[in-house]
Amino acid sequence: MIRVPTNDIELLARRIGALPPAPEGWVAAAQELPRARAGLDDLVVRSGGDAQLRARLVADLESALAESGISPTPRILAEARSRLEL
Amino acid sequence: MGLQASTSLTDKSLVERCRAGDDAAWNELVARFSRYVYAICVQGFRFSTHDAEDVFQDVFAKVYEQLGRLRDDGSIRPWIAQLTRRTCIDRLRGAREAATEDVELAGVDDRIAELDEALAVRETMATLPETCQEILDRFFARDESYRTIGEALELPPGTIASRISRCLEKLRAAMEDPVIDRRPVDG
Repeated sequence: MIRVPTNDIELLARRIGALPPAPEGWVAAAQELPRARAGLDDLVVRSGGDAQLRARLVADLESALAESGISPTPRILAEARSRLEL
Repeated sequence: MGLQASTSLTDKSLVERCRAGDDAAWNELVARFSRYVYAICVQGFRFSTHDAEDVFQDVFAKVYEQLGRLRDDGSIRPWIAQLTRRTCIDRLRGAREAATEDVELAGVDDRIAELDEALAVRETMATLPETCQEILDRFFARDESYRTIGEALELPPGTIASRISRCLEKLRAAMEDPVIDRRPVDG
């Protein structure tokens, strides 16, 4: 249990101020992670037996991911390239 | 389980739900600890925005991948603190190509201890009326002016200072409430 001195109002105010919000886009990207990973898993499996899909992924990975409902952040793009061996 | 309902979950319950694949619980876990991880990166390690963003995303990817290894679900906060600290150190080492821990970490652990206190204050803040939470967060954490707060909450700007004072007093009283002290424990 963390004890915070409660007789010092200014300290409480400083502690509130110590945790400003993280940028919204960073939070949204982190929240998207499970869905993006699941979507990528599905894409990797499907691209193994679908030459057309594979060709689309090779030609324009970013658009192909977006079409599959995966937000193509730099991190997801890097992971997709690695997993799809592009 | 909707996101709204999950906001009052203990850390332990939240972790259990994340392990069960509950998307709303994952969203809540990220929301609950995003400020903490961000603060460790930018205040503890003084990272640039670019480095902080990379570490921030790395930390939550590791949390997602390694949640199954957490021995005590109620210990997610110190676990995330350690993950963040290690990821920051790895980033420093990668950038400087040297073991920089002794030189670079002066003051970091003290800062993390202050952020732990800040998180405890924020947990108690969550028990206050919503307007109080909004006013205190907007003024102290988001650095908004009385005018901006007044416009956002549809309150006369002239009343904001006294409301901040009253809300701080409510927070102080809540921090001393033994019932609230037991909140992190399940059951």
